[in-house]
Amino acid sequence: MMTYILTVDDSRIMRKIMSGAIEALGFQVLEAGDGAECLAQVEAHIEEVCLILMDWNMPNMDGLTALKRLKASELTNTIPVMMVTTEGERGKMVEAIRAGAANYLAKPFAEEDLMTKMVECLQDRLNLV
Amino acid sequence: MMMMMMNATGQGTNMIDAKLVNTVMQAVMEVCGTMAGTQVTLKEVIPTLDYKPIGDISSVIGISGEQGEGMLTLSFTEPMAGLLVGRLLGMAPEEITSEDMCDGIGELVNMVSGRAKTSLSEDSGSLYRLSLPSIIKGPGHEIGGRPKNCPFLFLVFEAEGHSFILQVTFRHF
Repeated sequence: MMTYILTVDDSRIMRKIMSGAIEALGFQVLEAGDGAECLAQVEAHIEEVCLILMDWNMPNMDGLTALKRLKASELTNTIPVMMVTTEGERGKMVEAIRAGAANYLAKPFAEEDLMTKMVECLQDRLNLV
Repeated sequence: MMMMMMNATGQGTNMIDAKLVNTVMQAVMEVCGTMAGTQVTLKEVIPTLDYKPIGDISSVIGISGEQGEGMLTLSFTEPMAGLLVGRLLGMAPEEITSEDMCDGIGELVNMVSGRAKTSLSEDSGSLYRLSLPSIIKGPGHEIGGRPKNCPFLFLVFEAEGHSFILQVTFRHF
């Protein structure tokens, strides 16, 4: 059963902020501090993760690299990934979308915008109306 | 037009132009308003010849690209940092741990710098990179590795009776 939304950010504060929005939508939260931790969490919860919120700039493994790894695997390429990042340039957005990102949200963001974009991603994934 | 020019001898011109100042000013207001629900006003802009240690806690981020490099530093007193981070998390300032405070202040400078980077990149057509934010604590804290011979601008902001400082420098190659 897909009940988890995985938030990937090296900032604990950002993970807390996003966790509040995730729980408000009725989902449970998984957390990762970088791209490598993200891949480990997905592997451990592959049947339960319905969406990943991915920062771009992180130590160890950045978000774009993690996104590409997820999209390169048949086991994980259907999990939608939304980039949530300070990388606001159009070129960066295009790069992420081409790599398979389902949506893109630039920081700073209003909580309502985060929730709206999460619902857009989840509609496709869970056939929500 | 607000512009500092300390060394206009061709290459290596050190100036901070109005566009950058306006960009970071808007970014501070937007980040504090959108993420922390806090109205911030710019009280003063002071040109200086170098970085000055100020406040109890600072977050620093470097920005670099083909056309130049710089640094942004946000400095706070502990009460101001607690207030802003508390607002980010929807918590009272006294509930904020030292770890949360450091992380929150780092994220604030990260978002402000991200906005500035986006604007610089779009204006110049070349990409800029941000370093990961660093946090320095303690009264009179110094920041090593900052750009040499670069003028800084102090931007003094005020929110809810507290002040905080953004120090910015940018050197065009």
